[in-house]
Amino acid sequence: MQLRLSTISCFLLASSSLMAEDYVSVEYMGYDKESGRTTISTPSIEINKDFGADYTANLSVMHDSVSGATPIYHDSSSGASAKIPEGTIYKNDIEYSDVDYEDERTAVTLSLTKRFESRDELTIGGNYSKEHDYESKEMSVEYLHYLDSSKNQSISIGTSYQKNDVSVYCSLNTDECDSSSGASEKVKTLDVFSAEIGFTQVIDKTSQLKSSLFYINEDGYLSNPYMRVVRDYNRNPKLTQEEKPDSRKAYGALVQYSKALSDRLTTVSSYRFYSDDWEINSHTLNGELYYEFNDKLTTGVGLRYYTQSEAKFYNASADYFTDQTYASSDRRMSSFDSLNYKLSGDYKISSDISINASLNYYDQPDYFSAFYYNLGVKYKF
Amino acid sequence: MRTLYLSLVITLFGGCSIKDVKPWEKGTLAKETMREGGGDVLFKKFANHIYFSKEGSKGGGGVAGGGCGCN
Repeated sequence: MQLRLSTISCFLLASSSLMAEDYVSVEYMGYDKESGRTTISTPSIEINKDFGADYTANLSVMHDSVSGATPIYHDSSSGASAKIPEGTIYKNDIEYSDVDYEDERTAVTLSLTKRFESRDELTIGGNYSKEHDYESKEMSVEYLHYLDSSKNQSISIGTSYQKNDVSVYCSLNTDECDSSSGASEKVKTLDVFSAEIGFTQVIDKTSQLKSSLFYINEDGYLSNPYMRVVRDYNRNPKLTQEEKPDSRKAYGALVQYSKALSDRLTTVSSYRFYSDDWEINSHTLNGELYYEFNDKLTTGVGLRYYTQSEAKFYNASADYFTDQTYASSDRRMSSFDSLNYKLSGDYKISSDISINASLNYYDQPDYFSAFYYNLGVKYKF
Repeated sequence: MRTLYLSLVITLFGGCSIKDVKPWEKGTLAKETMREGGGDVLFKKFANHIYFSKEGSKGGGGVAGGGCGCN
């Protein structure tokens, strides 16, 4: 009898911990570029609410305020601006240095999960984000199916469609439109289709493996209206807007392994491979280690390594591009490595309230480094 | 598909054996520390946003994510 009661109470405890929970999470996140002027501040809120055992709704709202500078080619004689000057440009006036910018972005994400009698899950989500020159709308659908009665194996299939509107301001004097056109902006579109299939396998009571294959198809305006390249540097130098292809097909795979090494020590590690038809291949390795000092305090450390090859149309030099169709000096299209270091802590003030904080250091050697961090409160109700 | 997946698991974790774990034995697996980012959904989104705006690749974290003008 004692054994039966113990088994039942263990089952109830485990079941309650596996269920989604009702909570409100409020966080302030910040980003500061080292030896630079870029700062981002992002207050955000997330609400998760169960409606009975079969429905869960999740809402999150984030607001980014960005103030800073990004390096691009520009004509120094007309000031540090992304605007392409009219008339002749002289070699000595072409500079690659910081140009100021400011932006604000609000993003709202809503999802609703329905659990069926088999406990399979259907999640429908929507995302909307708005910046002064960019608007994005997204719908997603994901279905999770358990392959066995103990729910130790599951397969998930998801897809999303994203429609983006990019406003290219004519005052920038790009090929899309210039200040003499009489228009203030030209709106370009970008459609993104994503699909992902995932598998989860519980290996034993303390470890599980997740894996997924993903495919992303982008079709439309993929150039950045603020990025510049120099063409014909040696004969008749010109500053033009960068030109990226108007489609991009990418695929990749992710494997993640979680293991509780003891009652207090847990590790989560993952590897992601990515490849696209712009000839960018990337590898991402991530490792995290969490230690529970007691029932209240949990700390974590993390290390992420990222490496990528360069896009086929990338070159950083001022004297490389002439009449190539596609041309970009955007550093993100180059070959580079990066490292991210993370420290985190979570402290439970009571059974309902916890506070969390983390500090991250992101480094692309020889280019830039930045700190980013968060401070948050979570209330379970 | 299931056979293919099991083959992958066995290849990657040859030393591990897959056990039939009952629902009441999943307390450890349900811990937030068993998830990447320690279960902090908001900060994971923020970190992914930073990676996406500084790097040339993305994907693998689920189909829902939303777009931004940071490409």
